[in-house]
Amino acid sequence: MAWHNRLLRLLRHGPLWSEIEREVSFHLAERTDDLMAQGMSKHDAMREARRRFGNPTLRRERTYRTEALLWLESVLADVRYAARSLRRSPGFAIVAILSLGLGIGANTAIFSLYNALVLRTLPVEHPEELVQVTFGDGRAVFTNPLWEELREQQDVLSGVFAFGNRSFNLADGGEVRNVPGYWVSGDFFRTLGVLPVLGRVLDNGDDYRGCPAIVVVSYGFWQREFGGTADAVGSTLMLDGYPFELIGVVNPAFSGVDAGRATEVYAPVCAFTIVYPESDQLDARSSWFLHVLGRLERSQNAKQASVRLAALSSGIFGATVPQLWDREGQDRYRGYTLAVRAAPNGVSYLRGEYGPALLALMGVVAVVLLIACGNVANLLLARATRRQHEVAIRRAIGSGRGRLVRLLVTESLLLSLLSAIVAVVFARWASAFLVGMLSTSGNLWLDLGLDGRVLGFTLGVATATGVLFGLAPAWRATGVAPQAALRTAGRDVADRCGRFAAGKLLVIGQLAMSLSLIVGAGLLIGTLTRLQTLDTGFNRDGVLLVRMDPHNAGYSTEESSRTKQEILEQLRALPGVRSASASVITPIGGSSWNNYVEVDGYTPLVQEDALAWFNSTSDAYFETLETRLKAGRDFDSRDAQGSALVAVINETMARRFFAEPQPLGRHFSVKPPGGDPETYEVIGVVADTKYQSIDEETSPIAYFPLSQEREPWGTLRYQLRTDGAPTALIPAVANLIVEVHPRISVRFSTLEDEVAASLTRPRILALLSGFFGAVALLLAMIGLYGTLSYRVTSRRNEIGLRLALGAARGRVLGMVLAEVGRLVLVGIAIGVVVALASTRLLSAFLFGMTATDPRTLVLSAAVLGVVAVAAGALPAWRAARLDPMEALREE
Amino acid sequence: MAKQKNDILQGTLALLVLRTLEARPRLHGYALTSHIQTVSDDLLRVEEGSLYPALHRMEQAGWLRSEWGTTEKNREARFYSLTAAGKKQLHQERESWERLTKGVNRVLRNA
Repeated sequence: MAWHNRLLRLLRHGPLWSEIEREVSFHLAERTDDLMAQGMSKHDAMREARRRFGNPTLRRERTYRTEALLWLESVLADVRYAARSLRRSPGFAIVAILSLGLGIGANTAIFSLYNALVLRTLPVEHPEELVQVTFGDGRAVFTNPLWEELREQQDVLSGVFAFGNRSFNLADGGEVRNVPGYWVSGDFFRTLGVLPVLGRVLDNGDDYRGCPAIVVVSYGFWQREFGGTADAVGSTLMLDGYPFELIGVVNPAFSGVDAGRATEVYAPVCAFTIVYPESDQLDARSSWFLHVLGRLERSQNAKQASVRLAALSSGIFGATVPQLWDREGQDRYRGYTLAVRAAPNGVSYLRGEYGPALLALMGVVAVVLLIACGNVANLLLARATRRQHEVAIRRAIGSGRGRLVRLLVTESLLLSLLSAIVAVVFARWASAFLVGMLSTSGNLWLDLGLDGRVLGFTLGVATATGVLFGLAPAWRATGVAPQAALRTAGRDVADRCGRFAAGKLLVIGQLAMSLSLIVGAGLLIGTLTRLQTLDTGFNRDGVLLVRMDPHNAGYSTEESSRTKQEILEQLRALPGVRSASASVITPIGGSSWNNYVEVDGYTPLVQEDALAWFNSTSDAYFETLETRLKAGRDFDSRDAQGSALVAVINETMARRFFAEPQPLGRHFSVKPPGGDPETYEVIGVVADTKYQSIDEETSPIAYFPLSQEREPWGTLRYQLRTDGAPTALIPAVANLIVEVHPRISVRFSTLEDEVAASLTRPRILALLSGFFGAVALLLAMIGLYGTLSYRVTSRRNEIGLRLALGAARGRVLGMVLAEVGRLVLVGIAIGVVVALASTRLLSAFLFGMTATDPRTLVLSAAVLGVVAVAAGALPAWRAARLDPMEALREE
Repeated sequence: MAKQKNDILQGTLALLVLRTLEARPRLHGYALTSHIQTVSDDLLRVEEGSLYPALHRMEQAGWLRSEWGTTEKNREARFYSLTAAGKKQLHQERESWERLTKGVNRVLRNA
């Protein structure tokens, strides 16, 4: 035991030891004196004294062990004993370790996701000093003028920087290759304290209007794209078709400031005008695209900084009032105040989207683990009963109850710690699998490395479960009176009943908990089903979406419009394309466009009521998406530049603004930002469709013809309906567009995938809760089966006697099944109460049903009941098939 | 030299220490050893090496308390005395000892 000795060496000079040493040397001195008084020489007397005392070094060692390591050693003895006894029953050990390991592993997996997304602080200097600058109401998006004003006027933060998410396209034309990037302000790296591993990072001197195109890249990007060579610095990187000079590579630990996204390229905000030469984004007072983070002075706290920023707010907002807003909006803008909130773990929109869902899943897996604990406790109870004889002997020869409980709990802890090892291995696989599920197109990146918090969590859960499932059986096992147990040699019938009672309680608990999980799963699966089968107003199957961006082709406005139309015609001619159309927006596609609408005779109660959502489309858009035209006509060649402005509206818009289902020929007007109001004639009415998300309230939508757009949009989306697989069209479409111009960028997806991606969260919740609900059910059934089998075995004599006395086998079957029935009924009754109390926590994730949906409740209880009776049927059948003579002979 | 069979029976050391300290409060370890040996007319000899660990265990159990002091020969030594808990413990151990010896004696006489 090398570490023993090491520990001893370490402790040898401790105060306790020196006390004993002083005492022993006193003893030796006294003995020497006495021996000398008897006539021995001093030398002999000292030797004799030492001999009588025994080898002092040995003594010292032994003394010390007794004093300080007595406890440790007995613990080790317990561990050795536990390991031996587990080795003796490998079947039990493997079942227990695997089931607990998977249970703890599921908890660790979900927790490590939650940790990576929500808890982990940024890998920068003093992350606790980081704050996010927000508006008083919690919003946190800035325009560039607002950010610049804040930077100039603030005097409370030791550093402050802005950044905006931007996907940069690495390809110069053809299919896009997007990498996640940031626009960053000059102080980004200095404030965070992030250093380069190669070259240099951006600094304040790089951030000025008209700055050159330079870029800093992540370590991973440098490795991947440049093979990690030093001459990457100074080379040219094409971003969105523009050459940027690579000036440095950042530290590998740093991947941006938002969890869930691995930022690869960092370009200065001022380079915006390089990518968009004609854009006024940097001076636009209503173009919101930046987030602002800062670092507090050592002496400041967030509250003090907020107070100071609030005092500066009127000056900052007053200087950046959006010119295009109406008077009311401008007044509101002047009244905004700034504040800061702690942001040691950066910012993340994913956090709001998935944080609560992960918490709910943590609750689910915790319950699954509890049910698994129930089974292990059940196994331990059975083991404890078999061990009663051994325990009784130990007690009879003087072992204290506490000491024996410790021995048995050590065994449970050993089990659970071994499970923790299984758990960590399983969790690494499972959390990577979960990230894969969450990530719709490789866009999710989480650092799942094991950190102290995850390991601590796993160990904590393992220890808690070990104590939880070990303590009660240990307490019961050691509670028997030694005499009684010895006398019956462990075959005490009365105690078996007691053990059955404990087993029954466990099974009822397991049934109740699994019912509440099944109900939760039922609700989430029901939600997903409703979302997937909801009438969206369009047919998502069989549609290829092509997002095309002619920006780099260098077309004039007119050329661009003509090319887009030509491409549409060519797409329509492709074999396999049933119909094709173009639009600015596709449903559930992540972008939106809206404005207030004015209609004669309509007065909105609140201004928000007058908000309508827009799209601009070619002809045949409704035909391609299979959205029904209810009245009037689709766009056609009559709707050209210069002719009267027209629009097609949806039914909700017709009802809300015109109070009639088919307001053909009527007009509405819209005032574009900074322009004069335009009036549109309604020429058609189409069915309602979902616009931004499946679970939204249907909104009023107006469609305008692309052919009447004054300033055509840069990017355009084509929709291609086909009878085959939509992705089969991709090569032909890609070829077609490259031939039109090699520098046009395209991106492909299917409408079905885009809709599915919007349902990622409900789908994951339904899948995982369904999976864990099934696991819980299975575990509870194993518990039920085990308990009943035990019950039947221990009642063999009684049942044999009944059969011998003429009881019908059917009655015996009924007797056992009645016991199952009682257990299940009590379990369901408690489970319903638990479910009603706990599913409320899921309310935020439900759609189209309430947390107390009676159908789900009844159905779940029925599933549980049927499966439980099936699990109980086998032991019952065995009981009924018992050979009475054999059973009686055994006694 | 043949090993004499006069080492103290495992488990009775505590009883002897407690009893000795009841009769003579404040003894150091060496005095305890000599005293037990003398009073038992050299029949019992404390295994010196295990005395000190035993004393510490008993002190931790609350049966003894100890303090450093000086002997007549002006040497530093640790003096032990009995606590109330120690008295109670002595009472219990004495009873069970008597039961044991009575039982053993009966068996020796009658079996």
